[in-house]
Amino acid sequence: MTEKSGVSRRELFQIAGSVPALAAATAGAGVAQTHDTHAGAYQRKVFDEHDWHTVHVLCDLIVPADERSGSATAAGVPEFIDDWLDFRKQEDGHDDLTAQMLGGLAWLDRESSRLFGKAFGGVPVDQQKQILDRIAWPERAAPEDRRWAEFFSQFRDLTLNGFYSSKVGIADLPYLGNTAVEQWKGCDPAVWAKIEERMKNGYKGLGGEVKRWG
Amino acid sequence: MRGGWAKIVGMAQAKANSKTYDVIVVGSGAGGGVAAHVLSLAGAKVCMLEAGGWYDGTKQSDMFKWPYNAPHRAAETKDKPFGYFDATLLGGWQVPGEPYSNASGTDWKWWRARMLGGRTNHYGRISLRMGPYDFKPYSRDGRGFDWPITYEELAPYYDKAEELIGVFGTHEGLENTPDGKFLPAPAPRGYERLVKLACDKIAVPCIPSRLAILTRGIHGRPACHYCAQCGRACGINANFNSPGVHIFPAIKTGNLEVRTGAMAREVVVGRDGLARGVSYIDKKTRGEVTVNAKVVVLAASCCETARILLNSKSSQFPDGLANSSGLVGKYLMDTVGSDVDGYLPILEDLPPRNEDGVGGMHMYMPWWHYQDQKAGKMPFARGYHIEFGGGRGLPDAGRVRGTGRILGGGYGVELKRNVRKMYGAGIGFSGRGEMIPNADSYCDLDPGRVDQWGIPVLRFHFKWSQDEILQAKHMQDTFKEIITAAGGKYFTDATAENNWGISRGGEIIHEVGAARMGADPNTSVFNPYCQAWDCKNLFVTDAAPFVSNADKNPTLTITALGWRTSEYIAEQVKKRNL
Repeated sequence: MTEKSGVSRRELFQIAGSVPALAAATAGAGVAQTHDTHAGAYQRKVFDEHDWHTVHVLCDLIVPADERSGSATAAGVPEFIDDWLDFRKQEDGHDDLTAQMLGGLAWLDRESSRLFGKAFGGVPVDQQKQILDRIAWPERAAPEDRRWAEFFSQFRDLTLNGFYSSKVGIADLPYLGNTAVEQWKGCDPAVWAKIEERMKNGYKGLGGEVKRWG
Repeated sequence: MRGGWAKIVGMAQAKANSKTYDVIVVGSGAGGGVAAHVLSLAGAKVCMLEAGGWYDGTKQSDMFKWPYNAPHRAAETKDKPFGYFDATLLGGWQVPGEPYSNASGTDWKWWRARMLGGRTNHYGRISLRMGPYDFKPYSRDGRGFDWPITYEELAPYYDKAEELIGVFGTHEGLENTPDGKFLPAPAPRGYERLVKLACDKIAVPCIPSRLAILTRGIHGRPACHYCAQCGRACGINANFNSPGVHIFPAIKTGNLEVRTGAMAREVVVGRDGLARGVSYIDKKTRGEVTVNAKVVVLAASCCETARILLNSKSSQFPDGLANSSGLVGKYLMDTVGSDVDGYLPILEDLPPRNEDGVGGMHMYMPWWHYQDQKAGKMPFARGYHIEFGGGRGLPDAGRVRGTGRILGGGYGVELKRNVRKMYGAGIGFSGRGEMIPNADSYCDLDPGRVDQWGIPVLRFHFKWSQDEILQAKHMQDTFKEIITAAGGKYFTDATAENNWGISRGGEIIHEVGAARMGADPNTSVFNPYCQAWDCKNLFVTDAAPFVSNADKNPTLTITALGWRTSEYIAEQVKKRNL
């Protein structure tokens, strides 16, 4: 927004973020390219073989395939995260975010080994979920798990950003723009009818309850 | 007028050095563009100097490209602070090899776009006329200074500017919010209609916005196709940008020569005390070139213009050119900014639709407390307008966030389902308010540092006053009220400790006023026609002569004022006064 009136469009559209803007892969080896045209061409920059496997597992626990779209790994999210960590290191002049992510992955392995005798990537899904359930809702996390809940929140944001800015994720939302519109008509009547109905009757949503519009 | 110029100037020119232009215009943004346009069409032979490279949005825009095909999903970087697709060719908060410094205690940010057209290639296209009060702020509340001109004097040039660049809007008849020559306004998006109803509840006006984007084809330019990416520059020339609207038509007259890579260093002054031309560094060769002209128009951007004047030292003008008042660089202003993010559950899970629209807001809120301020009922002087945005925008780096705040966490199929529902329910409000000029905010030459061209660089000094800080608090309170009225949740880090989230000086990129105009040569640098008191063939058409910085974004006023100044130059040439 700039201006851009100075207002960054991005600032305007962030829902309520708490971490730096997140993003994806390089032009030559990006998520889309990995997924669409250059499968297998991505060269890892941050994760080693073991962590790479854990990242795949964790990404797909966060964004699994469902009836509408594929999983995070199908959308190239591990590649996105690996590239993003390397990118932040270049941009920020330090590798704090990489350290945070690697450290979190190390804890997942330690905790999984302690509880189930094997690294996180090698235990059954229900055991993986047992650990995630402790850290996936920061407010509910036990005091000793709060640090790992913070790690998980950041990892989840990376995964969601990688997924929903990919071609797969854009079709999933769906985002229907970035195209020429012959005649702009404003808010679609079907959309406005729904908003009006909620104003009339009230609405209980994920973000809380909206009272009847007095 | 064209004939007049050719007859008078043209004949005189034949006797002079063939390399003497009628006019040199330094800079190619909104101010340089309009000067070159008006003067070239009037028949003057114009040489334009641009420090950056050539740019033509119709050939170089990244319109319709997808973030997933760009490095790091088109994320913001140090080189591209507004993201990979932003039109800015070279520049941003830093320009390689061209530093600036901040005095101790100052945290000024200076955005420069080194390219043909400057910041007009990417800016928000918000086009608000200053109102009658805005030209006489001192008379109204005893703060700051009055302009030497009235709204009525500038109004005909607002008309011309709007008719050339194309501005949409509606006629509202609101106080100190003049209507203009508008193209039809685009219908609002769903969230904008909702916010308007929320504003109705709390008596905040919310009206169609006024942006320099074509909703109908004019002057051979086509109408907008509503892809919302104006910041990338428009591939079809449907939004205002100086190259496509001012410069290329001017080149077609055969009267405008554009030199790119030409970094203006100094206005050269003759023994008679008049400007003789401009010396610039040719960035390709690093060599110095002097170009001669009868009239020099500076439009290098507010601060860069002040820098050129301060660097134009001679025996006649030891403190810099046009600086006998000592006011060059002084009373620098930016716009007050403060933001609140919100989330409106009523917008969750709506039928998917393309709600891109134009590259910016279709609705906005003009300032509404004029009478309360006049009655002394407000804790701060001067107003702000509100900009807001939301909806199902293009997913790029950082789009999907806030799942923690809204959902409390989660993962798996349920999370995926929830994100789909939440998409489009986020919203953001930004205030853009008037800063009162103060003596602590100015730029001067850094005593020790130079840029890679050997030109002394600017050093900034900047302070907000209590008026701006309390205005930022009022913004925060208003945004929370609107969001609450719409049944939503708000998120902000603003507190009294951080001055209510007030922006850093320069951050809103509305720097104006470093060489103000006035009615008295002792208290101003330029006269009421933006002609230097000390040097009658030196003019300025950027935001340097601004006396105040109303909440009305500067570009439209730069264009109108620059048009008026250019017409004045043409008339004075006709009358043989220049």
